[in-house]
Amino acid sequence: MAPSYNAKEEDGHQPGATGHGGAGTMTNKKPDNTAFKQQRLPAWQPILTAGTVLPAFFVIGLIFIPIGFILIVYGLTLLIDYTGVDMSSPCYNCSQSYSWNNTQSCTCSVHFSLDQPFESNVFMYYGLSNFYQNHRRYVKSRDDSQLNGDKTSLQYHICTLNRCSKECEPYRSSDKPIAPCGAIANSLFNDTLELYYIDPNGSRTAIPLVKKGIAWWTDKHVKFRNPSGNNNLTVVFQGTSKPVNWRKPVFELDPLDSDNNGFINEDFIVWMRTAALPTFRKLYCIIQKKPNNMTPTLPRGEYILEVTYNYPVRSFDGRKRMILSTISWMGGKNPFLGIAYITVGSVCFCLGLVLLSIHYRYGKRNNSAEISS
Amino acid sequence: MQAVLSSDYSFAQFRFLERLLLVHGRWSYLRMCKFLRYFFYKNFTFTFVHFWYAFFCGFSAQTVYDEWFITLYNLVYTALPVLGMSLFDQDVNDTWSFQHPNLYVPGQLNQYFSKTAFFKCALHSVYSSVVLFFIPYAAMYDTVRDDGRDIADYQSFALLAQTCLVITVCIQLCLDMSYWTAVNQFFVWGSLAMYFVVTFSMYSNGTHINFPASFPFIGTARNSLNQPNVWLTILLTSILCVLPVVAYRFLLIQLRPTINDKVGTLTNHTGFCS
Repeated sequence: MAPSYNAKEEDGHQPGATGHGGAGTMTNKKPDNTAFKQQRLPAWQPILTAGTVLPAFFVIGLIFIPIGFILIVYGLTLLIDYTGVDMSSPCYNCSQSYSWNNTQSCTCSVHFSLDQPFESNVFMYYGLSNFYQNHRRYVKSRDDSQLNGDKTSLQYHICTLNRCSKECEPYRSSDKPIAPCGAIANSLFNDTLELYYIDPNGSRTAIPLVKKGIAWWTDKHVKFRNPSGNNNLTVVFQGTSKPVNWRKPVFELDPLDSDNNGFINEDFIVWMRTAALPTFRKLYCIIQKKPNNMTPTLPRGEYILEVTYNYPVRSFDGRKRMILSTISWMGGKNPFLGIAYITVGSVCFCLGLVLLSIHYRYGKRNNSAEISS
Repeated sequence: MQAVLSSDYSFAQFRFLERLLLVHGRWSYLRMCKFLRYFFYKNFTFTFVHFWYAFFCGFSAQTVYDEWFITLYNLVYTALPVLGMSLFDQDVNDTWSFQHPNLYVPGQLNQYFSKTAFFKCALHSVYSSVVLFFIPYAAMYDTVRDDGRDIADYQSFALLAQTCLVITVCIQLCLDMSYWTAVNQFFVWGSLAMYFVVTFSMYSNGTHINFPASFPFIGTARNSLNQPNVWLTILLTSILCVLPVVAYRFLLIQLRPTINDKVGTLTNHTGFCS
């Protein structure tokens, strides 16, 4: 066995090196005897022993299982598919008779009933399926500077000089620059949904739907801005044209409320936040809870959903849904995380038991200090 | 003199050969192999997630992660920790390396990085990528925030997936490292902190207002990382990625301990942690 090695005994000076200048200036090429350069830095050397691994497995198992039970919070959700695929469905005629140039909108009414009252704020969503908002060309097809209020992308001569975003092609300009440009904006969801409650005595009451406060605060106040210069948006957007598939130009999205008109219209902002997956839901409006807290927001009973069917989805086999949902601290109703935590916790715990038994049967044998092999 | 000039290593006395081989040569082999295995693992995992996402984005090659994250992943977020591991790692210290020269045998048998080892690393990456994509997918499917607004949008999903990835590869590195110096600790926790700092500053108002087209992810970090849903998903994903590795390594130590494991146990028992 080699004796323990002492670095000070190392002969570091090179025989043929340097004698330039005589005694005292001979360069010493010996590396420093510091902990860093001699790789002796103080360190923690953990290894996987039974004493650390097995308790870790048990602890993880015992923590995850209760977390899983807490996470299974069930909210209430109601889903209504109103695409109109079957002949018997109320929106079938609207889905068949669709054409882009229709000036007359088609409306259909869907009856449904609630078996349980919905308490507290109720959120109404529209959902789409088989709609790939996450397709790469679609996701690129927007101009964030234009949406942030940059005026240069609204001016024709600048657009022809190729200074406004090329990503918006082919929805960049028709004869004038399109505002807002791009395929995402062009495919804005434009169905109108209204909800009516049918009293036991047969009369209909409209349920008030709040369409503000549905977009992220940062989107509404920082990311999306109307171009400045004039409070009258019609003047600001002069010289631009509306997107190809829109019925109204962007400054008429909500002419009665200047805080919700133009690029800062909340429906538009919610739509522009592209979804990650082909089946998604987007917030349409909020049904606020009653101020006295005594009556439920949506009592049990019969309801009618009135749809102004403007958005075609049958051509790509998509589906449209209206979703009513209550919200918990975990968000909407999605039991996946709760079930996953319970599963992983139990598997972990069982694995801990298996490893413990293996350790007792085989581990002790190999722990003897014979290393000669 | 000419032999010295054309050689990789030169030394003056024969007794230095033992240290060169048994200590430095062995450590060098170990560090190289660990570095390679980990590097392949983190990059394969990073890439395979896009493979799974392809099934859900119409095969349009849409990236799961933010483009800035893709740029900075290998440059900033995971560069220094793996560098630290490949510079400082030791499985047993130099005294014990001298006392047990048969620790040198795995290097001679090419055990640490062979075709089998590479294949195991690729398999591990595939498993990790499945977990790193499908758990966030299922957790975000048709979900909303706790105030009813969107969280299943592309940007939040990207942020969730990339945070899960960074934390998981960090934990995997922690498992791979067997010699934790202060420098390593600084590199690892510093890189993780750097990830959050850079993410929050890139997704802040100021960067968007000045460069709207380059930094479109404004507000995403603030709006999704304050959801308990998101953090619970990150915790579940990291633990699920790492647990099988821990179980497998523990089983190997119990059932088929290598010389390194036995020496390592002895080292720990006799309190030789320097």
